[in-house]
Amino acid sequence: MKAANVVITGVGAISAAGADLAETLATFQKGRPRAGAVSLFETSLTYPVFEVKNIRRKGRDDEMRSIRLALCAVEEALMDAGLRSGLSLFKVGVCLGTTVASQLNDMDFYRAYRSEKTASMRSVDRYLKGNLAEAVGRAIEIRGPSLTVVNACSSGADAIGVALSWLRDGVCDVAIAGGADELNIVPLCGFGALGILSDSICAPFDRDRKGLNLGEGAGVLVLESEEMARKRGKPSLLHLSGYGSAADAFHLTAPIPDGSGLEAALKKAMSEAGIHAGDVCFVNAHGTATPDNDRIEGSVFRRIFGDEIKFLSSKGFTGHTLGAAGGLEAAFTAAALREGWIPASAGFAQEDDEIQLSPVRETTAISGRFAVSTSLAFGGNNAAIVMSRGALDASGAQNRSGV
Amino acid sequence: MNVTGVGAVFARGRGIGSLEEALRKGWVAPSRRPLASSPGKSIPVYSVEEKTITDKAVLKKMRRADRFSKMAVLAAWDAVKDSGIEIDEGGASLGIILATAFGPQVTAFRFLDEIIDHGDASVSPTLFSHSVHNAAASYVASALGNHGPTLTVTQFGLSFHQALILARAWIHEGRCEHVLVGSVEECGTVMEYICSRKLGISEDGRIRPFEFSPSPSAVPGEGSVFLLLSGEDRGQKYCELRGVFLDDESAEGDPDLRILDADGMSEDETCYQEIASQDVPIGGYLPLAGSMLTGSAFHCAVAAVMLRNQTLYACPVQDNPHAVRACNSTEQKNLERIQCVRYGCLHERAVIELGR
Repeated sequence: MKAANVVITGVGAISAAGADLAETLATFQKGRPRAGAVSLFETSLTYPVFEVKNIRRKGRDDEMRSIRLALCAVEEALMDAGLRSGLSLFKVGVCLGTTVASQLNDMDFYRAYRSEKTASMRSVDRYLKGNLAEAVGRAIEIRGPSLTVVNACSSGADAIGVALSWLRDGVCDVAIAGGADELNIVPLCGFGALGILSDSICAPFDRDRKGLNLGEGAGVLVLESEEMARKRGKPSLLHLSGYGSAADAFHLTAPIPDGSGLEAALKKAMSEAGIHAGDVCFVNAHGTATPDNDRIEGSVFRRIFGDEIKFLSSKGFTGHTLGAAGGLEAAFTAAALREGWIPASAGFAQEDDEIQLSPVRETTAISGRFAVSTSLAFGGNNAAIVMSRGALDASGAQNRSGV
Repeated sequence: MNVTGVGAVFARGRGIGSLEEALRKGWVAPSRRPLASSPGKSIPVYSVEEKTITDKAVLKKMRRADRFSKMAVLAAWDAVKDSGIEIDEGGASLGIILATAFGPQVTAFRFLDEIIDHGDASVSPTLFSHSVHNAAASYVASALGNHGPTLTVTQFGLSFHQALILARAWIHEGRCEHVLVGSVEECGTVMEYICSRKLGISEDGRIRPFEFSPSPSAVPGEGSVFLLLSGEDRGQKYCELRGVFLDDESAEGDPDLRILDADGMSEDETCYQEIASQDVPIGGYLPLAGSMLTGSAFHCAVAAVMLRNQTLYACPVQDNPHAVRACNSTEQKNLERIQCVRYGCLHERAVIELGR
């Protein structure tokens, strides 16, 4: 099958680091993480979290917070793509990853059911209207497929991979893909019980890292075939060049110690993009700041990319946004390729002897054409995305060496 | 695209043998479960018995797994074994896509119990890790020793259809040689309560697919079905997956049978009447397994068995107030094409076409 070249024509992001991409990039340059105590719900847990304080979009009363976050990023990405209107002209698909928005985690409903054996159906109705991709698809009135990916922390990256497959197979003309998740008491308690939350601001890849901070947000890309973008007068130099996914088939919550799943996902993504490890100019790592994740991810980077690879984790700015993480980090990767710089890996201070690799410590210029974003998840899912900046040659192949 | 293996775990048992036996024997009344919200009242449920999901060999590394994951693993395992295809263990030639509407909600509510009973800081990490939607697919990958792409998707409308579309794309683009595509749903006490509030419940336990009612009745069900899809015809296939048609798309010509997903899970099933009144035999087999938002997977398994066996099975519940052309008897028949038809939440039509 002749695979269509897929371009990124729109990017949208909302997180604790900013209400849109411009605000996020400004935060990245200031280098100040914004974490604090939970204010969205009552909890006895005191772990710092990264909440979104400024959701500009006014939501309906019965709208899940995850959907509001998603729509903020979707609207920004559509605006960027020049598709704020006229969506009905195309077959548009929506594929979004999430964790919280897939579950009926309504404590008020459940408390009432337990104690009274009866409960208002309001929460249930809200849940049934709240399937993320379906709800976003309805809100922007698309005609095309919608699919919610629930692959835990790699959901956003996997959703972008699904969109790539859709576009290559002609399932839709344009795909809106990424992830969205709200802060919720269930993962806060769950990650706390697993002992992987940090009681201070997270420090990805640092020797003294103590765990992750939860966050919330949404990150979205607008994807379409290069031909479609050119036809509608919106050519783009940003390409989604490859996606790889691999299962550890090892353990429900722990990554396989040798990192072979992540390595397979990375190799698959680079193979699809037709590049070698040496072509990659930076990696936006999953980098949760848990001891296991960062040790394994760092050692795989060193094995594949060598000692000189530039990499960062953006979770020091956003926290771990679970189902949104892969979408947000894809948005940040695309923005970095556009802008020509990556931010410092917030929270990092000292190299870990077990990793023997350090992320970038300051805002760093990048000059290469290919970038990678990685995601690892509960259940042993590993996902990698390759993006590139630059025109294709006449055969459709990408020039690896320079513009 | 070929359906080369089928696995099923449902109220009547596990495996293709159980599915064929259920199709031959017809309707059996569901069990009844007491409704916690209404003392003295009960609800009919097609539940999967514990003995059905007991398999020490396949589940040996799944001591902590919940019923949701066990049902999925057994159906997926059986589909691979049924195909006779040796999956490259350790390789990546097999992809897994699991579709579910509600996920492991029984475990998720047990986790909420923990928060309420023991406080935010004293909950079970094991329950939490099993309450996430993708735990089941992860167990499937582990049981099969498979390292290919493993994805869980969820929708209330057409998640199994979307899973099939994606599986086809994965095979077309060479991402995998085979894809295990399946569904799993579990019915627990909270879901039974929600069903009793949100749906009409068929008090006599019969789902009536041909009633086309504006206020249909359901019988909640649970179970898992997996199909193994292969790009190449390995000579052991059940049938071909000829297409998945959504909304304005439609397959050309009439099939030999249309199977209707009408099972009482939508607010209004009058939309099915239009397609049923055409001059094509119709069937409805969810009365064997119960009402599920991913019930299309069960119907695909039924269609695959019919095409392989060249047998048209009698519908288990034959109430037919509109005198449509329902299949009332089991007979050998030359079956070339079967369509499974579902209307989604917004009454959008989705058709899965399987062919000999």
